[in-house]
Amino acid sequence: MGPSVVDTLQSATEEVFDTMIFRKLSSQSPIEGDALRPQSNVVGTVGFVGSASGLVAFYSTLDGAREIAGSMLGMEPAEVNGEMADAIGEVTNMIAGSFRTRMAAQGQPWAITVPTVTMGSDFYIKPHVQGRRVLIPFKMDAHEIFVELILIEPKPES
Amino acid sequence: MRFLIVDDSSTMRRIIINTLNKLGHQDFVEASNGREGIERLNSGGVDMIITDWNMPEMNGIDFIKAVRGTTSAKDVPVLMVTTNAAKDDIVEALRAGVNNYVVKPFTAETIKEKIDAVLAR
Repeated sequence: MGPSVVDTLQSATEEVFDTMIFRKLSSQSPIEGDALRPQSNVVGTVGFVGSASGLVAFYSTLDGAREIAGSMLGMEPAEVNGEMADAIGEVTNMIAGSFRTRMAAQGQPWAITVPTVTMGSDFYIKPHVQGRRVLIPFKMDAHEIFVELILIEPKPES
Repeated sequence: MRFLIVDDSSTMRRIIINTLNKLGHQDFVEASNGREGIERLNSGGVDMIITDWNMPEMNGIDFIKAVRGTTSAKDVPVLMVTTNAAKDDIVEALRAGVNNYVVKPFTAETIKEKIDAVLAR
């Protein structure tokens, strides 16, 4: 039996942070359901469709997003402004892309959408269909970031 | 050596340029899609192209096919850097005229290896 879908997403996230953001993440226990809503101001999302469908969402605070963008771009966090949205979009794109590649190697082919980045406060992502939601918390130095998987698996044919 | 970096993400263009800087390269031109990439090529002087796949207006595959259809740039080596990692994707890119392929996320060492491999041919 291969790695679980949550382990696969966790590994994909850690790989992106290790190679492109040069930060080690420490993961916390995944949380099933949507009872815990991350405190965040920057959210990147990428959809996927294929043998299953759903969404990968990346959550960060503004300060965390500045650190991430600064590290990717070789800038001081305080210098990051307009680059943040594109940087977080690219992070989300790479996490989802790496996740997709790993799932394809497990026999689950998917296509992914372009990333969308939402910035602000007091918003909530809610899919219109029932699916499994799993939130994976990570610590990046002093910052908390989260990656969420919303997974809708096709109903077996009767 | 002059590189043409083609990607709709300004972040990714900067990451690639920073990576190439670390490898000792300093001469770059940028484009945010394939159509702009063709315009930059027509200005001349490009020694290697590094391109994304998924871009608006003209994607990376159509861009490379257009490049291979020119007379002035048809032999310029091309490295594709993308999240598309399926075997069929890689075959399609190679058939379009890409010389080598890097899947995101990548390390500086991977970029160096792929560039060296392309230049060694």
